[in-house]
Amino acid sequence: MYRKQVRRRRAVLALLIISSFALLTLTYGQRSGGLQRTVSAAFSPVQTVADRALKPARDLVNWFDETFDARGENKRLAEELEAVREQAVAGKAAVGENAELRKLLRLDRTGVLAASAYEPVTGRVIARSPTIWYATVTIDLGEGDGVRVDDPVISGAGLVGRIASVGGGSSQVTLLTDHTSAVTAKVVPQGVQGMIRPEVGDPEDLVLDFIDSSRKVGVGDAVVTAGWRAQDFASLFPPNLPVGEVTKASIDEQVASRQVQVRPYADMRNLDFVQVLTGGSR
Amino acid sequence: MIVTPKILARLAAIAVGGVLLQLSFFSRVELFHVSPDVLPALVVALGLLGGSMTGAGAGFSIGLLVDCLLVQALGATSLVLLGTGYLAGLVRERFEIHGTLAPPLLCAGGTLFAGLAFAAVQLLLGVDAPISGLLARDIALKCVYAFFLGWPIYLGVRRVLRPALVEEPRVRRRRQPTVLGT
Repeated sequence: MYRKQVRRRRAVLALLIISSFALLTLTYGQRSGGLQRTVSAAFSPVQTVADRALKPARDLVNWFDETFDARGENKRLAEELEAVREQAVAGKAAVGENAELRKLLRLDRTGVLAASAYEPVTGRVIARSPTIWYATVTIDLGEGDGVRVDDPVISGAGLVGRIASVGGGSSQVTLLTDHTSAVTAKVVPQGVQGMIRPEVGDPEDLVLDFIDSSRKVGVGDAVVTAGWRAQDFASLFPPNLPVGEVTKASIDEQVASRQVQVRPYADMRNLDFVQVLTGGSR
Repeated sequence: MIVTPKILARLAAIAVGGVLLQLSFFSRVELFHVSPDVLPALVVALGLLGGSMTGAGAGFSIGLLVDCLLVQALGATSLVLLGTGYLAGLVRERFEIHGTLAPPLLCAGGTLFAGLAFAAVQLLLGVDAPISGLLARDIALKCVYAFFLGWPIYLGVRRVLRPALVEEPRVRRRRQPTVLGT
């Protein structure tokens, strides 16, 4: 009797392990399957309710974390403000000049997106992956809102990621910090191009890889999307979307590894609302 | 543990509630830049109370639900949590667990195991991006959070599953009789 029980338990355990491996083998690297779409669609309204109900508690816990951070950040921001103020004065002159030139070229449009066919749709983040290996969030926008796979996702600060899968009432966003993410970007004003990739485990750090080591990049330089287009192929992201700023750019690193460190403008850890750029030309 | 349809429904409610709470609350709060992960602790609690089979089954189901809701590769989280729950159940079956510190310590241990196992699964599947040293800090802090959250999780799960638990009567230590006049 006892032996029979042990045998049955072993069989159940083996079945569960085999099922896990089978699922992993069948679904790894694939887009969302039927099961995932169904479960995701069924739970989407519950997740939205849970998200709203738990917001006050979440804000309270995050307040402690942010207060702790703010003490150290205050000094750094004061120094940054000084530098930015100087840049702003120079920038104002450049903006005026730019507007004049655009008028002359009949390209009088404002904003990064105005020149493209993208239509931004605002959504709320309703869930987030618990593990650092998958930097993904779920948003409350689905097919009905015009969202499609690979649509770029931005926050008020800059590029956040792209749509990985779309369901009836929700979608999954792969963040820039996910290990599967890669975005072609350029450093402005130098125009040095490279590939933005994450560093797994560090949501505050990105790596701009494969850069041209002959053109130097400095700390504080802005990184924006490259938005390339070649015949029938084009980048998923429109050009000039802000991505982040260069935080570490030693000569050794640029020459030997052909890479610099970039801090994303968007705070990937505290996303509440995002915009999906729908209807782009793909 | 005696598993009846009612108890199965309670187990399902614990699993769904735990996953929703994790994805909508714990994953989105941070202390020292790290979010707590209560799912390994929840699976450990279920394993400790229900045994290795309950732990393994619960771990597999919770992992599958997480993978479905986040549209990740199915099976990875299931495999890791299955192992976590099974090991927690084995600990309960092989050793006598007494003392109030045992459940939170095992929850922290289970979270450490889950963190390392998940890293191993991901590395086996192939990660193109460089890996930061901060990953170690993430796993370590998650264990600390699991230690502090482990006790309330264990008590909560025990309360919900109480009708199904076969509780051993507590052995009360007898007081030595006082001998007068010696």
